[in-house]
Amino acid sequence: MLLRIERVVAGYGAGDVLRGIDLDVAEGGVTCLIGPNGAGKSTLLRTVSGLLRPSRGRVLFRGEDLGRRGPRERLLLGIVHVPQERSLFPAMTVRDNLLMGGYLLRDQRLLRERIDRAVAAFPICARRAGAHAGSLSGGEQKQVELARTLLLDPALVLLDEPSIGLDPRSRRQVFESVRQLAGAGRTILLVEQNARSGLAAADTGAVLDGGVVRLVAPAARLLDDPEVARLYLGAGPAEHKAERSRDE
Amino acid sequence: MHALVQGLILGVLTGGVYALMASGQTLVFGIMKVVNLAQGALVVLGAYLSYQLFVSYGIDPFLAIPVTAVVMFALGVGVHLAVLRPLRREDRAELSLLVTFAVALLIEGVIGVVWNTTRRSINTSYANDSWTVAGYQITVVRFAAFALSAAALGLLILLLHRTRFGRAVRATVQNPESARLLGVRAERVAALGFGLGAATAAAAGSVYGLLYPFNAGSHYDLISLLLSIVVLGGLGSIGGAIAGAMIISVSSAVVASTISPSWAPMTFFVLLLAVLLVRPQGLFGRPA
Repeated sequence: MLLRIERVVAGYGAGDVLRGIDLDVAEGGVTCLIGPNGAGKSTLLRTVSGLLRPSRGRVLFRGEDLGRRGPRERLLLGIVHVPQERSLFPAMTVRDNLLMGGYLLRDQRLLRERIDRAVAAFPICARRAGAHAGSLSGGEQKQVELARTLLLDPALVLLDEPSIGLDPRSRRQVFESVRQLAGAGRTILLVEQNARSGLAAADTGAVLDGGVVRLVAPAARLLDDPEVARLYLGAGPAEHKAERSRDE
Repeated sequence: MHALVQGLILGVLTGGVYALMASGQTLVFGIMKVVNLAQGALVVLGAYLSYQLFVSYGIDPFLAIPVTAVVMFALGVGVHLAVLRPLRREDRAELSLLVTFAVALLIEGVIGVVWNTTRRSINTSYANDSWTVAGYQITVVRFAAFALSAAALGLLILLLHRTRFGRAVRATVQNPESARLLGVRAERVAALGFGLGAATAAAAGSVYGLLYPFNAGSHYDLISLLLSIVVLGGLGSIGGAIAGAMIISVSSAVVASTISPSWAPMTFFVLLLAVLLVRPQGLFGRPA
């Protein structure tokens, strides 16, 4: 098991958002977390990446308790977190943003190799290398963010709402890139407001509600489950097909 | 016309020095969102260190800068670790005003004890030398001060744009949480950034001591000037600090030389108000 979350309780200030989360994430593939607003999806990612410390429970990565390790130490173990908000540095060039992705790499030759690999996977990084990240469109920025995750060759990528605020074409590109990242042997833990699209790109789905995991199942089965569709996926399958054809 | 051009020359040369003084202030704000009210006192302390090296060992204030900059860098890191780091992150912006003002008063007190309150000045052999270029007077000290300030600012900009530490500083300024998620130790960057701000104050202090007489209380005038510059240019922007310094210095010098010196201080406050009415975030600042 790559990631094991055991009875994790965490939150901000006095209130707990996560109220005893148990979740196992196997190595490889995409696991998509779905659930209503306030269910604790983003909070769970913050707890895994070390931005937030759980008040109870444990987060184990490859069997090792991450304990009080901060984001830097977890990054070195291979856990990369792409937060929901735009996370690029807007007044820095695309190239400098990529270099920041490899901030922990001291070996310059390895850093250059990784940049070349990221640029090959996301050609936008070469085309706009000298442009300020803030001048890129939302979809382009997301592509650069995903490219930046490759710099440390992570084992686990935590992606928080990667399609938020994007037009349909950019959304499709993002989900293709998510599959591409997973195809290269990485494990993706994905939080996606657009639950149907997220599940469609995922192998496994987990339903979070009220700070606990309600259900874990293959993503395809969750998509076909009428009860899950009614409670968490908004539109039914027929409406979704219509929505998807509009997108296309 | 002659008075106008002479005013412009004086304004540009002095503006370079102001820009160096303000660069530390804006750097610290950019990294930590801390308005450092001790920056003026650090400049004055830099002037005193330079003065002491000059009177005790005959070291030229320009040559003293590598020594004073290292000492002040260490002092800046120490101040950050001792009084700013212990503040809770969410209270830091507000409490830092009080804390850094207390640091300014402490520095003023120490200077008063060590050097007493008599005004000092650094009188080098070239203090009164000047060149005449096409009929315009350029004092050697002011030109050298400008050249040194430009060189120091150039080094600072190179450091910020061409080094791993500089990238980490700029990343922390623009998106602290994202920088943390990429492995940047925000507190270490903040401590080194505060040290760097103090080191620029050391360089600016040497230059300031050459240009003006100073005493322990000189920092009150300096801090109001520095705050005006960084607010005009946009808090957190080095380019903004340079532009703000030039605008304030040139406008004051031109008004002083063409109308009356008594109007000069008011000129830059009027300019400051006019800019803030149109761009509340300053010339180069980003909207909140």
